[in-house]
Amino acid sequence: MSTDERNQSTDAHHHEHHTVKGPGYPTPAAMRTESEREKTAFVMGVRVGMDVDKPDFVGVVDVDPDSETYSELINTVEMPNKGDELHHFGWNTCSSSCHAEGLVRDHLIVPGQRSSRIHIIDTSDPRDPTIEKVIEPEEVFEQDLSAPHTVHCVPGGKIVISMLGNANGELPGGFLQLDQDDFSIDGHWEVDRGDMEMNYDYWYQPRHGVMLSTEWAAPETYYPGFDLDDVEAGKYGNSIHVWDWETKEHQQTLTFGEEGLIPLEIRMPHNPEETEGYVGAALSSNILRFWEAEDGRWEWEKVIDVADREHPDWDMPVPGLVTDILLSLDDQYMFFSNWLHGDVRMYDISDTGNPRLVDQCWVGGNFAERQSIGGHDVRGAPQMLQLSRDGRRLYWTTSLFSSWDNQFYPEIGEKGSVMMKADVYPEEGRMELDEEFVVDFGDAPGGPARAHEIRWPGGDCTSDVWQ
Amino acid sequence: MSHEVTLEWRDGREATVNVRKAETVTDATERAGLGIPYGCLYGACATCTGRLLEGGLVHVKRARGLKPQHRQDGYVLLCVAEPRSDCRIEVGAEVQADLVPNPWK
Repeated sequence: MSTDERNQSTDAHHHEHHTVKGPGYPTPAAMRTESEREKTAFVMGVRVGMDVDKPDFVGVVDVDPDSETYSELINTVEMPNKGDELHHFGWNTCSSSCHAEGLVRDHLIVPGQRSSRIHIIDTSDPRDPTIEKVIEPEEVFEQDLSAPHTVHCVPGGKIVISMLGNANGELPGGFLQLDQDDFSIDGHWEVDRGDMEMNYDYWYQPRHGVMLSTEWAAPETYYPGFDLDDVEAGKYGNSIHVWDWETKEHQQTLTFGEEGLIPLEIRMPHNPEETEGYVGAALSSNILRFWEAEDGRWEWEKVIDVADREHPDWDMPVPGLVTDILLSLDDQYMFFSNWLHGDVRMYDISDTGNPRLVDQCWVGGNFAERQSIGGHDVRGAPQMLQLSRDGRRLYWTTSLFSSWDNQFYPEIGEKGSVMMKADVYPEEGRMELDEEFVVDFGDAPGGPARAHEIRWPGGDCTSDVWQ
Repeated sequence: MSHEVTLEWRDGREATVNVRKAETVTDATERAGLGIPYGCLYGACATCTGRLLEGGLVHVKRARGLKPQHRQDGYVLLCVAEPRSDCRIEVGAEVQADLVPNPWK
């Protein structure tokens, strides 16, 4: 059963060892092996910060090599307003509700990072998504929250969104909870945020009752672009926060200091037994591993340090800028991007504390020799990653965030960014750029756009959590 | 009273828009369909940054997305700015990038 056919829900696939059917897969391995190859992708298309007088859109990209429109942007659903900055997005429900009867994975929650507007998109037909509901910014500001980022559906019929600022775009941020049935705002998720002020991404491991959240900065700080003075003034994050998933209380702060400046994307293994994970510290360009110690406290260590590089045209050494990180569904490989360098790295993490670099793919950015693919310039560098469920195809886009794009890769602001792919050979521990696959969002209908986060209908490595 | 605001793009394009009393420049440019970039609409994100070349303009909400130096240099956030006289303003997506040069280059 394809996972992107109309009205797909996982009660369509076999769920033999459970009597109750739900919207996900009973285990990460089931998702990896029982789902079919992705045929379409949802990709955010962003026009903010460009001289393109059009809204952002939810794009549909054909990723089925047997299709006549393979590697084309086959649909764009424009938002009702301009200026949203669509960024990250998530599902109404996922494998974390695998056993809940009656739930169908058929709605995407698509926030505007700048507008604080939240769109609910009906994806019953993944090739023809439609806007079902819009939560206007005023309703979000009423909760004294702004700048929505990570969306996860959570058990118990709720959706939780990390929010980076208060209603003025200042600190503190928090978490917004929506109801899964009617997508109305419940209020804040958290009961006690302790010393947490900055927010960004989060991951949770419900079997262990833990959630961990990361830090970017106040919206008023990162929205206008990256200023080193703000780092020196302590306005950027360097810590992550451990929360009690059940009581929704802040438990512990892990402070990384210089080793962990701007910890952005956080991933825990898909295996629900695991009590560890990784976070990519963008500015320090390190991967930090964290784990629960025997006494229940959480500890951390640096496991990967991406060396800065000298560039003839730059005054100072250039950091990699680790902006996205992803774990394969079998938790055997980690991939991450170095947005300022121009590479994607693949690590064997079977020994979790000792990641082993097995391959690297260079394209675009400030250091790759290859600066074009299929006749298209690579504007920007590998950034948002998405891996196929079977772990054999890694896709990425090259835009980071409108103002940061315009600062570091101004050509994205004029001509949009691109989506690319590498074929991954997990048995051999290597990957290879697919020179046949490129989607140039510079050619998007209505004008160029920045391509950002990618998701498959039916769920993926960064959407699904298991109870 | 309303004011005539002349917008200048860096590619040489020019347009004039009538900004009504108690209307922000962004509201007026949207009404006129001029396609000037914007984002948050409350003065935090600086997507709507312009540079005041001539005339009087006030921020009616705090322009949080600008640093004091930016304001001294004439940068304004059009989504929270109202003219107090006829003005000339440099606009377009490129203007925002002036605020944050690449710190390592």
